[in-house]
Amino acid sequence: MNFQSPLARARGLGSVRAGSHHWWRQRVSAVALFPLTLWFGFSLSLLPQANYAMLTHWVSSPWNTLLLLSFILLSLFHGVLGLQTVIEDYVHTDWIKIIGILGVKLVTAFLALASSLAVLRIVLLGGHG
Amino acid sequence: MRDSLSKGIFRLPLNSTLKLGKSWPAPQNASKIRRIEIYRYDPESGENPRLDRFEIDADRCGPMVLDALIAIKSEIDSTLTFRRSCREGVCGSCSMNIDGHNTLACTKAMDDCRELIKIYPLPHLPVVKDLVVDMTHFYAQYASIKPWIETQTPPPADRERLQGKNERGRLNGLYECILCACCSTSCPSYWWNGERYLGPATLLQAYRWIADSRDETAGERLNELEDPFKLYRCHTIMNCTDTCPKGLNPAKAIADIKKLLIERQK
Repeated sequence: MNFQSPLARARGLGSVRAGSHHWWRQRVSAVALFPLTLWFGFSLSLLPQANYAMLTHWVSSPWNTLLLLSFILLSLFHGVLGLQTVIEDYVHTDWIKIIGILGVKLVTAFLALASSLAVLRIVLLGGHG
Repeated sequence: MRDSLSKGIFRLPLNSTLKLGKSWPAPQNASKIRRIEIYRYDPESGENPRLDRFEIDADRCGPMVLDALIAIKSEIDSTLTFRRSCREGVCGSCSMNIDGHNTLACTKAMDDCRELIKIYPLPHLPVVKDLVVDMTHFYAQYASIKPWIETQTPPPADRERLQGKNERGRLNGLYECILCACCSTSCPSYWWNGERYLGPATLLQAYRWIADSRDETAGERLNELEDPFKLYRCHTIMNCTDTCPKGLNPAKAIADIKKLLIERQK
């Protein structure tokens, strides 16, 4: 028999006094991604038949490098916040939830490193390294 | 073995399957026939839930869905079980899912429903019998936010704690909540995480005490709410505001709580 009172069940282990940062970062990154995504789409549409040399040249121009890195890192950051929310919403088995959230964070960090490295290689080594 | 298989991850529990139940034809000489389909379930019987169909003479009962339910219970099938009390949208007892929307049977007119009026219990709560659901956890969650004034300052010796017109005005749109649970049980986040997510009704009530100028514990109340599950399972789906039979806006109250949590970090 379970004699725990309904109030004890409702209170559970109490509030963790966190979550506002996660929520706020999701909103701010969404707002910041709006102009960045427009810039990215607009820039791609101006490069319809770009060859390898043109593309590496485009990536190497300082403003493009800066905005491209911002776009990649911010969209991955926004993505990881969103995926964590989805997992928390729908996954109710504790160990799958923990592994899922950790996995998403690690894979995203790896993707962030890989894509930053790719951009920097083009910028610093001219894409021929 | 069959039972454990049927409860596996690929199938819903056996008692989630609905069967068509009894049909009750309209009384003779009926002048305005309304067809009503009602969810019937008695967990103790061991039988699956069924849908009973009733035909009633709308000219011989009041205009609201609750009037029809009372007519059915007193004239056709006395085993039909539902909660009701005030019959004027003040007590919140007769909340149920009518015509696909959570609402109060006493304030929902039959003329505003589709031709076949479908009546189910509030979604995603354990069914006690027919249209009566177990609201223990819902009430416990309400109790957990301490729905009363908490103060350190003793009350004035010769009067009650006063409130200005503006201060009182901030409670408009909040104090009217009757805790019928229509909003919380329409919220997908409450369906999936209702054990921990407080749900729109309780959060609106929590904000009602934060917004009360006489209360002195806004900070502690915000501390208690700042939690990924208690508060931040709200994803602004807005079913709560859409369904509230009192025309309140729980989604806005939740947004106001989130705003205060950001504001106090400034």
